[in-house]
Amino acid sequence: MNTREKAIEKLIFICAAVSVAAVALITIFIFAQGMPAIQRVGLFRFVFGTTWSPTNGSYGILPLIAGSMAVTLGALVIGIPTGLGCAVFLSEVVTKRQAGFFRSAIELLAGIPSVVYGFFGLAIIVPLVRGLAGAVAPDAGATGLSVLSGAIILAIMILPTIVSISVNSIESVPNAYREASYALGADRRETVTKVILPAARSGIFSSIILGMGRAIGETMAVLLITGNVAVVPHSIFAPTATMTGTIAMEMSYAAPDHQQALFAIGIVLFVIIVILNGFAQVVMRRFGGAAA
Amino acid sequence: MKPEIRKKAVRGLAAVMIMTVAAVGFAGCGSGSASSGSSGSSGGNADVVIAGSTSVQPLSEALAKTYMKDHSGVDIEVQGGGSGQAVKSLKSNIATIGALSRDLDDSEKSSVSKTYTIAKDGVAVIVNSNVNVDDLTLAQLQKIYTGKITNWSKVGGDDAKIAVVSREEGSGTREAFTTKTGVLANDKDNTTKDAIVQSSTGAVNKTVKSTPNSIGYVSLASVSSDVKTVKVEGVSPSESTVLDGTYKIQRPFLYAVTDKANSATRAFIKYVMSDAGQKQVKKNGFIPVNKTEQ
Amino acid sequence: MENKFTVRGLNLYYGDFQALKNINIDIPEHKVTALIGPSGCGKSTFLRTLDRMQDTVEGARVEGQILFDGEDIYRRDCDVIKLRKKVGMVFQSPNPFPKSIYENIVYGPRVHGITEKKKLDEIVERTLKEVALWDETKDRLNDSALGMSGGQQQRLCIARCLAVEPEVILMDEPTSALDPVATAKIEGLMHELSKKYTIVIVTHNMQQAGRISDQTAFFLLGELLEVNPTDKIFSDPDNIKTEEYISGRFG
Repeated sequence: MNTREKAIEKLIFICAAVSVAAVALITIFIFAQGMPAIQRVGLFRFVFGTTWSPTNGSYGILPLIAGSMAVTLGALVIGIPTGLGCAVFLSEVVTKRQAGFFRSAIELLAGIPSVVYGFFGLAIIVPLVRGLAGAVAPDAGATGLSVLSGAIILAIMILPTIVSISVNSIESVPNAYREASYALGADRRETVTKVILPAARSGIFSSIILGMGRAIGETMAVLLITGNVAVVPHSIFAPTATMTGTIAMEMSYAAPDHQQALFAIGIVLFVIIVILNGFAQVVMRRFGGAAA
Repeated sequence: MKPEIRKKAVRGLAAVMIMTVAAVGFAGCGSGSASSGSSGSSGGNADVVIAGSTSVQPLSEALAKTYMKDHSGVDIEVQGGGSGQAVKSLKSNIATIGALSRDLDDSEKSSVSKTYTIAKDGVAVIVNSNVNVDDLTLAQLQKIYTGKITNWSKVGGDDAKIAVVSREEGSGTREAFTTKTGVLANDKDNTTKDAIVQSSTGAVNKTVKSTPNSIGYVSLASVSSDVKTVKVEGVSPSESTVLDGTYKIQRPFLYAVTDKANSATRAFIKYVMSDAGQKQVKKNGFIPVNKTEQ
Repeated sequence: MENKFTVRGLNLYYGDFQALKNINIDIPEHKVTALIGPSGCGKSTFLRTLDRMQDTVEGARVEGQILFDGEDIYRRDCDVIKLRKKVGMVFQSPNPFPKSIYENIVYGPRVHGITEKKKLDEIVERTLKEVALWDETKDRLNDSALGMSGGQQQRLCIARCLAVEPEVILMDEPTSALDPVATAKIEGLMHELSKKYTIVIVTHNMQQAGRISDQTAFFLLGELLEVNPTDKIFSDPDNIKTEEYISGRFG
C-alpha cells in the first residue's frame, strides 16, 4: 500500500479510537465520581434501600429503579403493538405514496425536543390520566402525574424508532415469500403474521431494543410528568420518580456527598443498560439464528 | 512494514491512546470532590465574583449587568452552587461575595466579617382554584406537608385528598418554606414522601393551577394571577407584610464578605444598597430593603 | 378429455400498457402444456392470470374470460383462496420460507384448516416422497429449508405446493436457476406428476419444452401466435414466426 492510503488508514483509525476513548472516559468518570458514594452507603443499602432523601442522609434508590423500570415497561407495552401495527400498515396496506405521507409525520415526531414532549404531556396527557384515574379509582386522589402518563409519552417518543426500523425490516423481506404464501391460498393477514413478521423479526427486535434504550435514558419529559415522588409506585396512576429525572433535577443544587450519590445512580443506570443490552443480544442470537 | 508487525503497532497505538485518555480523566477527577454546580474557579480573573444561592443568582446577574453598563472597566462574575457554597467559596478565595437566601449559621458566622441584606423574598402558598380554604396556620401547613393532614376537610375545606406539591431538595425556596413552617426540624426535612416534586417555580405554578385539590409554594415574585394564594396566619403575602414581618414565610437575600474584600467589591455592594440598586431589586420582583447591615 | 382451463378473449393491461392481447387457449387436464416465446412476450404474465396472482400487482386490469372447470375465475364472487388451493404455483427461483422443512410443507394445509399433527405428518411424508426428497430429509425435517441445495429447495417448493392437493400446477421457469443434474431430476418429476395433475409450464428452454410437454403454445409480444401438439410445433409449425423462433432466428 502506498503512503497515502496508510495515512488515511491511520486517520480513520484515530477517529474510531476517539469514539472508544470517549466511551471509556465517560465510563471511568462516572465510576470514579460515584464509587465513593456507594462505598460510603454500602452497595446493598444503596441499591435496595427504599428511602431517597439526601438532605436527611438517606440514599436508597430502589424506588427510582422501580420508577424507571415501570415507565419503560409501560412504554414498551404501549409502544410495541402500536409501532408494529403502524409498521405493518405502512408496508403492507397502503400504497407507497400514502405511506410516504405517514412516514414523514412519524419522522417529525422524532425531531421534537423532549422538553416539548414534557410540556405536551403536562398540558394534555396528565389531565386525561387524571380523569381516567378519577373514573377508575376516585378515592385515590390521583393527580395525573403518574407512571401511566410517563409511559404514554415515552411510547410516543419511541414510536418513530420502532416504526422506521420495522418498516425497513418488513420491506426487505423478499417478495418471493409473499408470492409463495399467496400462491398457497393464504390471505393477507396470514401472510403478514405467519411469514412476513417472522422473517423480519431480527430487525423488529433491534428496533425494540433501541426504543427501550431511548425510554430508559429519557430525562426531561419524565421529569415533568411523573411527579418525581421517590416511592415505589403501587399502581399505574401513582406518581413515581425515575433515575434519570432525579439526577437531572438534583444535580445543580447538590452538595458534594449528594452529587456523588447522583453519579452513583448513574453507575447503576449504566449497569442496568449493559445488562439489558447483553440480554437482548443473547435473545437476538437465539431468535435470529434458528428458523421459526 | 510486515503485516504482523503493523498489526501489533496498531494495537499498541490504540492501547496507549486509550490509557492516556483514561489516565488524564482519572487524574482530573480522582480527587473525588466534584465541583458543585458551578464551573471552575476563576477567582483571579474577574474583579468581583459572587457565588452561592441560586435563588439570589438571577438578581445578582441583573444587578451586575446594570452596574457593568455604567462601569465598563469592572468585570463581575456570578455563579450558583447553592447557599451552602457561599461561605465555602469565600473561604477558598473563589468568590469575593457569598450570596445566601437564608441566615448564616453559627459555623459560617466566624468566617465572615460583614453581611448585607440586599433584598427580601416572600414564599407564597398557592392552591388550586377549587380549594375552598383561604387561610392556613403555620402548624396546619406543617401538618399538611409532613403528611399528617391528608384531607382538606380537616382544615375547613371540602372532603378531598390534598395533592401536595413541593420543590426539589436543595431548592432555596423549599428551604425557606420548610424552615419557617417547621417541616424542617432538627436538620431533618420531613416533607412527606408522597409529595409531588417539581423542579422549578414555573412547573409548580402549572401543576397547582391545573390539578384540583392541590397546594404548593412559590417565590412571591413568581406568583401568577391565575393561581389562588392563601393567607398564612391571617396575613396575605405582599411586599409590605414581608417588610414588616407579619407575613411569616420569608427569607433574606444576603451578601456576605470577608475583610479581604477588594475595592471593586465594596463599590459594587455600595451600589446594590443604594436607591439605584434597590430599584433594580424591585424591578426583578423582589422586595427592596432599607440599608440594613448586620 | 375435459379442458381444465378455457380462455377466451383475454386482455391484460398494466395501466395503459397492454401486456396480453386477445388470448384464446384450452388447457387440457392431465397433460403438460408448455408456454414458450422470447423474453417479454407475455408467457409468464399469462401464466399468472390462471391463479389470479396478477391481483397482487398494482394497476393490473383484466378483461375477458378464464373458465376453470367451467366457471369464470374473474367473476365478482369467485373465492380466490379456494382457487389458489386448486391451482398451485412453483416459481423461477426456489422460494422456501425461512422456516424448517416441516414448517414449509405444513404451511399450506394449516392455512386451509388442517391442524391435527398426525394428518400433517402424513402430508409431509407423502409429498416429500412424491418429489423424491423423503430419504434425504426424513431425519432432518426440523432443519432450516434454506440449508438445502438449489435443486432440493425447488423440489421442496413443489412438495409444498402438492401439500394442499391442487388439481393444477403452474410452473414459471422452474429449472432456469438450477444445474443440469437438478434440472433432469425435476423434469423426471414433472412427467410423474402429470399423471395426477394438470401442468402448465413456462420455459425459456425449447429443448425442455420438446422433452416434457404434450402441447405447446408460442407467445410473441403479448399475443398467442400458435398452440398445437408439441410434436407438430417442433416439426411442422403453422406460423412462420413459430418456425423462426424454434430454429433460433430470433430469441
